[in-house]
Amino acid sequence: MPLIVVGVNHRTAAVDVRERLSVVPSRIVETLDDLRSLDGINGAAVLSTCNRVEAIVSAAAEDVIEPIVEWLTQRAGTNRAELEKHVYILRHGDVLKHLFRVASGLDSMIVGEPQIAGQVRAAFLASRELGALDSLLSQVFDQTMRVAKRVRTDTGIGEHAVSVPYAAVELAKKIFGDLHGLQVLLLGAGDMGELTAEHLSAFGLEQIFVANRSHDRAIELAERFHGQAVKFEGIEPYLATCDIVIASTAAPHFVVEPDHVHRALATRRRRNLFLIDLSVPRNIDPAIANIDGAYLYNIDDLQQVADSNRELRMQKAHEAEEIVEREVDGFRRRLVAQDAVPTIVELQGRLEDIRAHELEKCLRRMGPVSADQRAAVEQLSTQLVNKILHYPILQLKEAEEPAERETLRKTIRKIFGLR
Amino acid sequence: MSPNLTLYTALALYAAGTVMALATLFTREKRPQHVALGMMIAGFVAHTFWIGTICVRTGHPPLTNLPEAVGFMAWTIFAVELALFIRYRVHAASFFVYPLVLMLLTLSAVVHEPFIKTPAGISRLFITHIFLTTIGVAGLLIGLAFGALAWAQDRALKTKNRGALWDWIPSLNVCKTVSYRALAIGFSVYTLGILAGILWSYRTTAGLMDLRVKQIGAVIAWILFAIVLQAYINDTYRTRRTAVIGACAFVAIMVAILGIHHV
Repeated sequence: MPLIVVGVNHRTAAVDVRERLSVVPSRIVETLDDLRSLDGINGAAVLSTCNRVEAIVSAAAEDVIEPIVEWLTQRAGTNRAELEKHVYILRHGDVLKHLFRVASGLDSMIVGEPQIAGQVRAAFLASRELGALDSLLSQVFDQTMRVAKRVRTDTGIGEHAVSVPYAAVELAKKIFGDLHGLQVLLLGAGDMGELTAEHLSAFGLEQIFVANRSHDRAIELAERFHGQAVKFEGIEPYLATCDIVIASTAAPHFVVEPDHVHRALATRRRRNLFLIDLSVPRNIDPAIANIDGAYLYNIDDLQQVADSNRELRMQKAHEAEEIVEREVDGFRRRLVAQDAVPTIVELQGRLEDIRAHELEKCLRRMGPVSADQRAAVEQLSTQLVNKILHYPILQLKEAEEPAERETLRKTIRKIFGLR
Repeated sequence: MSPNLTLYTALALYAAGTVMALATLFTREKRPQHVALGMMIAGFVAHTFWIGTICVRTGHPPLTNLPEAVGFMAWTIFAVELALFIRYRVHAASFFVYPLVLMLLTLSAVVHEPFIKTPAGISRLFITHIFLTTIGVAGLLIGLAFGALAWAQDRALKTKNRGALWDWIPSLNVCKTVSYRALAIGFSVYTLGILAGILWSYRTTAGLMDLRVKQIGAVIAWILFAIVLQAYINDTYRTRRTAVIGACAFVAIMVAILGIHHV
């Protein structure tokens, strides 16, 4: 039974094409019903993210590709020739490899990004809930999620941050472990500082204090983070209570100096202080990096962390591709073997009937025989049947291409007179 | 089952697990690290059987001579490491703890000593002394291992140069907390063990101490660990001085262990 993917992604189609094809969650039921109404489709799922829109189907035959492309053309509101420039069509083993790679983040714009696994899961689950997954697609989905999990666990591909704000979060976790209950002091209202605070706040911070030269702007930002605005001139006491300080002001001088940090650490009782300086010119005196218990990173340091993580991800991606190859191979073999099982069982049953019937006739003709003689004749007949069945069964189990498998199955059924 | 068979099985599994764990320092792959942990756990099960067999055969805890005490210490260290792994998922400690466990159990396998059968030798006080010092030393060694991780993490964060251990080490806070708690608990239990030893020595030899190598080593280790613990309390553990004292404390404790019945 063929597996087919027809779709577009960030490499084959620009955003204006992808957005015309995209499916909003509220319209997934309607879209799936529409897709399943096409002739020959047994099971279907639609994966729609900002980077890709794909129809994933299991069908009776490959003839279904043509109607799917036509269906996509109608959805895109364009002409067929225009859409065909962007569409890719994958079949059988290529579908498995594609899905495993997509769910593992290997086909993403940012390699290894973790969100895609959740999006693939959501797409298949939506399809399962609507009863649109047949047994084959259901198995493919379960295996896809297993492979995605294995890739993440074995390679750690998504563990390292590849942007400056996330690099800051990663370092904060390396210092404090759990970020729950920590307090952050945000100095200034620079975009990067705001973004970093936003990323940090997603990890359960207790409080964010915002200080800015313009107190009104500080209040505005504090409200956004459900934090508290403080006077820029009165930040020193907050250095003693906050665990992370993010400086992102336009001040042309140092706002935090070594004396401030020395005094703060003296009252912090062995708790570390993480200082992130995202401003140019710098706002935090670099001499602070030499103080025990204080960890200072500026914008270049964080960029370096993000860059080296990106390289690391590319290395991990090679390991991940090897895992995917192995998994595709193993799963394809399982599917082929499973597909051949009904024919094999029927074939064995048929030959066993013939064997038993002929054996009985033979024993009747032979007259009285000893138990040993009877066992010897039975063994001979069983071995003959097994030898005859060996190659047909092997061929059925090893035929990977569906068309080849179907031809073999029909031939075997015809030769052995199976119904 | 023969005690020797379980001991050698444990040793073989520990050796395989240690080699595999150390190899991940270079490959940075997680799967071999998990396999290594599996082997170490299998070794730990065999190790537990070995200790159980000794208890059944001799009728007392396996603490009466050097091989037994060292074997029990290795068992305790791995048990603590396993508990910490379950709680904090600390892979990096394996680079220190696995070789240490392997080394101690190897020592236990190669040193042959008769069981102590004298009444003083198997008195409750003696068993208490060995039990407490063994548990205490296990705590102190775990504390040192995590202290080394905290130091490595601090250096990596300060120099902004991630070394081979970066991916395996948990957060600085976890390393510091575990190290401090292990040292504090280990030191308290070790102190009680030494006091029990002094009392046992007083009862059996009519003297508090006879200044043999094991006793001198134990007292020096106690002093050095007190200094290391103080450094943690004062948050000065990052200094080179603390690192050197920690290393000396490790040597002193090893001298005390090796000197149990030899000198």
